Amino acid sequence: MRLPVRANRSRRRNRGGGSRGQGLFVASALTPLMLYMVFWTLFPMIWAMLLSFFEYAPTRVGGPLLGLGGDNPFVGLGHFANMLSTSPEAQKFRTSLKTTLMFAFLVLPLNLAITIPLAVAIEAVKSRLKTVFRFIYFLPTVTSSVGVALIWGYLYHPQRGLFNMILKTVGLSPQIWLSNPRAFYFGVPLALWAIIFTYLWQDMGYNLVIFIAALQGIPKDFREAAVVDGANIWQVFWRVTLPLLRPTLLFVCVMTMLSSFQVFDIIQVMTENGRPQDQARVLVLDIYLSAFRFQRMGWAGAEALILFLVVLIVTVVQMRLLRTQWEY
Amino acid sequence: MATTIRASSVRPAFGVRGIRRHMGQILLHMLLVAGCLATLLPFLWMFLGSFKSSSEIIRIPPSFFPENPTLVNYQTIFNDPLVSIGRYYLNSIIVAVSVVVLTLFTSSLAGFIFAKYRFFGQNVVFSFILATMMIPFQVLMIPSYLILAKLGLIDSLWGLIVPAAVDAFGIFMMKQFIEGIPTELMDAGRIDGATEWGIYFRVILPQLGPALATLGILTFMFRWNNYLWPLVVITSNERRTLPIMLTWYSGMQYQSYDLTMAASVLVVVPVLIVYAAFQRWIVQGFALSGFK
Repeated sequence: MRLPVRANRSRRRNRGGGSRGQGLFVASALTPLMLYMVFWTLFPMIWAMLLSFFEYAPTRVGGPLLGLGGDNPFVGLGHFANMLSTSPEAQKFRTSLKTTLMFAFLVLPLNLAITIPLAVAIEAVKSRLKTVFRFIYFLPTVTSSVGVALIWGYLYHPQRGLFNMILKTVGLSPQIWLSNPRAFYFGVPLALWAIIFTYLWQDMGYNLVIFIAALQGIPKDFREAAVVDGANIWQVFWRVTLPLLRPTLLFVCVMTMLSSFQVFDIIQVMTENGRPQDQARVLVLDIYLSAFRFQRMGWAGAEALILFLVVLIVTVVQMRLLRTQWEY
Repeated sequence: MATTIRASSVRPAFGVRGIRRHMGQILLHMLLVAGCLATLLPFLWMFLGSFKSSSEIIRIPPSFFPENPTLVNYQTIFNDPLVSIGRYYLNSIIVAVSVVVLTLFTSSLAGFIFAKYRFFGQNVVFSFILATMMIPFQVLMIPSYLILAKLGLIDSLWGLIVPAAVDAFGIFMMKQFIEGIPTELMDAGRIDGATEWGIYFRVILPQLGPALATLGILTFMFRWNNYLWPLVVITSNERRTLPIMLTWYSGMQYQSYDLTMAASVLVVVPVLIVYAAFQRWIVQGFALSGFK
């Protein structure tokens, strides 16, 4: 992401009179805002790090500093060491980390495989229906994810759902979509596939509009020139359009990964806390349950830091892989 | 791209190529319409389900269209003594509107300062703001909950509003937009004797219409649909927001799809109306941000 942090380096500083008035304004208006931000981001971030070194429950009275110490004892790197052990919570953690990674790495390519061609197709539409298409394909994205999860839960219902109704009509055998622990396709549990499709349906709108905006930014001449040179539509797509989308692709990949690592709503609502057999238990669900159901906030804080670490690593790797040196 | 020059030689399509192009457009439309129908199917299933009676919805095999369309599910929800749907609407509106107003004010003010003033440590502070966007919410969730507990704001709508009042993305977006406003306007204001606050309120804010609309609608929808944070903060029945209420009829004691679908319609439709009304701003905003 090339964020133009220093885009406006004008030398017009303090033009006109009253530079002291300006300084006062900046100080008095910005300081409270920044302190507020520090209070709700940096301070909790540090607190989260501290928590991960303690065994902490809010119900226990601890030491004077943030309730840490005392009945909430210091365990050092104990939580992180525990993650590698065979304890039940460590196994839950490792399962959920694995599921989260599986989820994110399946969602990303599937999402791109849908949204890029779809964006190119919508951009190629020459009628007024173009806006209508964009409007409809974006509808799921503005829909409440809890609503989405409930609607899809009903679609997937083994006896009353639409999907099995369709399968029966075309002569295929119905599926127990969300609660059959023995059904696997390509090594991935059926329940997770079902959730991935729901997620893709809801999430594709973001990337779609980003790709459409990016395509509108590519000068038409490039594609037309390729056509004049005798390229067919596939060659235009692979040789011209896709390479020019690369900066957008980086942004989209990073953002899609970040949001799919944080999936929670649809899984919490569609499955019963990640069941069957924790096949759909993702990391955020595990963090939520540890912290707010079992009151193990130190452990949950350590898990959250691992989530942060994974997010950072994946982001940096993607930026390395997809970085481009040129612009248009 | 030396061939760019030759692009001017492309003439409007005619003859055999024209027909082929026409066919291509028809095929494209057919494919996209099919995709639209698939996208709309879950919404249709929700609407149809909400008009089915409780006896029809559990019937096997299921019906596609309701045989005796009924409004009884909506009546049940509105008359349910355990569910004060009006209250939940009000809660959701209070939270979403308050966060929108606060976010628009803080984002435009901070964005204005970062765009139009130079001061010591500016780049460090702005980098800090950008960096906070990278932190997953789940990392901050537990300490934020503990802060709210210390402030006595657990199980209060304030707990949903206060932490969201200053938004890093909003500041970033406003800064980008305000940089495009000519500084000469500010200088003219200064010559007329306006204070810096006066310039913010009377010169800058009136120019921000489109940006405020986009950020406002994005923030509204995000807060309206937000689930995890209210789930953590709100415990009592009468302070629930709509997404928390939604799971009520699908829970253990009901498992009733007719009521769940009717409730989903009640929660989903207001956002769809907002979306339909403000489509342009919303799509622009999402294209700009990508992460809300």
